Amino acid sequence: MGYLRFISRNLRGRPARTTLTALGLSVAVSAVMLLTGISWGFERSFLAIYRSRGIDLIVVRAGISDQLSSNLDASLEDELRAIPGVSQVAPSLMDAVSFEEANLVSVLTSGWEPGSLLIEGLRILEGRPLRPGDRRVVLLGRVLAMNLGKSVGEPIDIAGERFEVVGIYESASLFENGGLVMPLAELQRMMGREGQVTGFVVVAAPGVDPRELGRTIERRHQGVAAVPSGDYVKENIQLRLARAMASATTAIALVLGSIGLLNTMAMAVAERTGEIGLLRALGWRRSRIILLLMGEAGALGLLGVAGGAVLAAAGARGITMAPTSRGFIEPNLSPLVLAIGLAMGLGLTLLGGLYPAVRASRLEPTEALRHE
Amino acid sequence: MSDRRSEPTEIPPLLLGEGLVKTYPDGDVRALRGVSIAVAPGEFMAITGPSGCGKSTLLHLLGGLDRPSAGEVVFRGRPLSDLDLDSYRASEVGFVFQAFHLIPTLTALENVQVPMFAAGIPVGDRAGRARRLLEEVGLSHRAGHPPRRLSIGERQRVAIARALANGPSLLLADEPTGNLDSASQREILDLLSRLRADRGVTLVIVTHSAEVAAEADREIRLRDGLVVG
Ligand SMILES: Nc1ncnc2c1ncn2[C@@H]1O[C@H](COP(=O)(O)OP(=O)(O)OP(=O)(O)O)[C@@H](O)[C@H]1O
Ligand SMILES: [Mg+2]
Repeated sequence: MGYLRFISRNLRGRPARTTLTALGLSVAVSAVMLLTGISWGFERSFLAIYRSRGIDLIVVRAGISDQLSSNLDASLEDELRAIPGVSQVAPSLMDAVSFEEANLVSVLTSGWEPGSLLIEGLRILEGRPLRPGDRRVVLLGRVLAMNLGKSVGEPIDIAGERFEVVGIYESASLFENGGLVMPLAELQRMMGREGQVTGFVVVAAPGVDPRELGRTIERRHQGVAAVPSGDYVKENIQLRLARAMASATTAIALVLGSIGLLNTMAMAVAERTGEIGLLRALGWRRSRIILLLMGEAGALGLLGVAGGAVLAAAGARGITMAPTSRGFIEPNLSPLVLAIGLAMGLGLTLLGGLYPAVRASRLEPTEALRHE
Repeated sequence: MSDRRSEPTEIPPLLLGEGLVKTYPDGDVRALRGVSIAVAPGEFMAITGPSGCGKSTLLHLLGGLDRPSAGEVVFRGRPLSDLDLDSYRASEVGFVFQAFHLIPTLTALENVQVPMFAAGIPVGDRAGRARRLLEEVGLSHRAGHPPRRLSIGERQRVAIARALANGPSLLLADEPTGNLDSASQREILDLLSRLRADRGVTLVIVTHSAEVAAEADREIRLRDGLVVG
């Protein structure tokens, strides 16, 4: 018999307590994994919008916190194009619309120019792309089309106007798959923002440093921010909120989980005072007793992580399928997220297990043996 | 060694208690008030006396479970205060308790292996060694049973096998037959004397039983923390 056997005997000898503690830890760990996974999935999906098209810079109004509230003059496009080092420019107007009957709120709606690099980044699955001069037509993202049950040729009502679905596309980004695209002029008209756009995407010429190009653009145009796409995504307000929520949940879960473990280990120690005294009487050193009890706490922590991973996977499936979040949130349960869960399990073990273990090791053998 | 008293033999004692005093801080209990004893190698010594006279306290001091308030325990000529008590308990002393103190979640075989962790016996050797010890106490057929499925007498035999796990020179037993019926008491006594004969182990037993005391080479009587005979 080695330590592992001893530890597993102690845990399996008290199945109810072991199960309940591991379950409690699992819930805490899975909450952390899910929220971290969601926030990372969010970020990945967002980043994919730009990465898949080789977009280097996002040009928006300086000083805005929410990208939807940015507002620039559409005529800026030609001036941007004239700046040395700029290879491609495309304007974009963005809005969010709802389809109440399908229980979909905040569907990303993009106004793009036919033939622009933004449209080029979509893979048309059915129907056709946008053409110059198109009126009252939309392209639906694959997931949105599925959620609305629409196919090419069918009419669709958007904010009180009737449009025709002319194409269904797939994008590298989940956001775009859950959104729709219409001609820029149509969205400008609907929103009453003729001649205005939310911003521009810029592709730098080969060999041009995007950061440097961004600074050039900002020098030439007052009130404009030209941000590298990676930074733009990182600074996105929704994303920062999601990240903050994940960290807050992690902190809360860590505290609750370690209190749970502390309680279990304190109970285990109190209940086994005699047993621990016996180990001391048989010549076990304090450090050996700490090792044994920390081993038990660690095993509980690992069970919690394993259970947490299973719960998180089930939760991720649920979120991906649920009507309100379908095609919108896709938790990213990467190995890194699992590693975070594992680190958390070990953190819980240290926080919750160490104090009872050290206390137990300080028991005097004779005192403990009198405990019956 | 102390020459103040004439020893029955010239062999130096295995274990010596010199002027042992033990005061417990709570309630200012003077459990031992100056006890001196010498235990010869291979001897079977019984410690008797009324309840509360300090028998268990003395045994704990001899076994390095506790330190005396004054006086010294000397093992093979070396004071325990100079020794590492953890390793003294692990490799030189085997304890047997009235209440057995077996670990309920472990099998008999695993209980016997518990002290082996502390003596650095390689993991791979532990089970085989424990099996031989269970055989020695006549319990190989119960190796896989947890304590709750053993009879009272069998439990004490597992505890004795455990006490022998690291091949101690000294077996200290605190009322080992106190919880047993007379038939089981007889069995345990026979087992202990056989172990003494086979292994040459030194035996110190605290007991209330006249039958056990009569079996011993020597009986030390305590009263109110002092040796009275
Ligand atoms: N940890 C302790 N704290 C305070 N007093 C103690 C402690 N241990 C023992 N005593 C007291 O010391 C005295 C001797 O106790 P000890 O257990 O050695 O007696 P004993 O001879 O073994 O008695 P018994 O036959 O009932 O087991 C008793 O009065 C007891 O109450
Ligand atoms: Mg006693």
